[in-house]
Amino acid sequence: MENNSSAYDSIFRALADPTRRAVILRLSQGPASVTELAAGAAMGLPAFLKHLGVLEDSALIRSSKAGRVRTCQIQPDRLALVGDWLAEQRALWIARTDRLAHYVENTMSQEHDDA
Amino acid sequence: MHDDRADLTISRFIKAPPARVWEAWTQREHFERWWIPEPIECRAIKLDLRPGGGFETRMRQPGGDFEPHVAGCFLDIVPEERLVFSTALTEDWRPGTPWLALTAVITMAARDGGTLYAARVLHRTPEEARKHDDMGFHDGWGTALAQLARLVEARGEA
Repeated sequence: MENNSSAYDSIFRALADPTRRAVILRLSQGPASVTELAAGAAMGLPAFLKHLGVLEDSALIRSSKAGRVRTCQIQPDRLALVGDWLAEQRALWIARTDRLAHYVENTMSQEHDDA
Repeated sequence: MHDDRADLTISRFIKAPPARVWEAWTQREHFERWWIPEPIECRAIKLDLRPGGGFETRMRQPGGDFEPHVAGCFLDIVPEERLVFSTALTEDWRPGTPWLALTAVITMAARDGGTLYAARVLHRTPEEARKHDDMGFHDGWGTALAQLARLVEARGEA
């Protein structure tokens, strides 16, 4: 369970950024070189490589080097977790818990102070 | 058969005492304001805080009609400590037919002037849940990814 939930956490973190989601969507069509992927991103190479690092840490993608070219590809097993109904339930309960905390800490506290 | 791959636990420290968190969970006018994300409107039809008491919420999209959301039954109520409900049963223990059966164990513990809040949510086995996917709830990972991205973004804005 613990391993499972940290896997979801790292996947969620990885997908929380539009640049990283764009990489995932591009790689869903087939492998691509780092150079090609970076060309599609509106940022410098060092910043882009950080994003790739996050995706690799989450194991959503993996890369391999042949000569001078590093090629990235998607990890279908890992992505299957994303389409998982449980991941969706998890997202739902995380958001719900966040809303409760926000409501209690902000809205309710203010109303109590006003009373 | 029990399978903890179908369980999930969310825990969070809330900067308010358990009494306040309990109030937010158990008083309709508070509960309706966080249970479902805006702009969807929530109505707590039943929030009957006793074992066997009904738990039912409905939701309404802007411009729409109220639709069923959650229908369940409380199993255990310990004020300011624990609240358990299941959607496998409805009011007065009557068996229900939810699209996704779950039991949620909500716990609150006083900690450092605040509350350690946890939601442990138990589901049937992944194999059983997959039936729902086959019924059309699952539309390929691309759709799920888009949904997930929206959820994650919504979380970031909250």
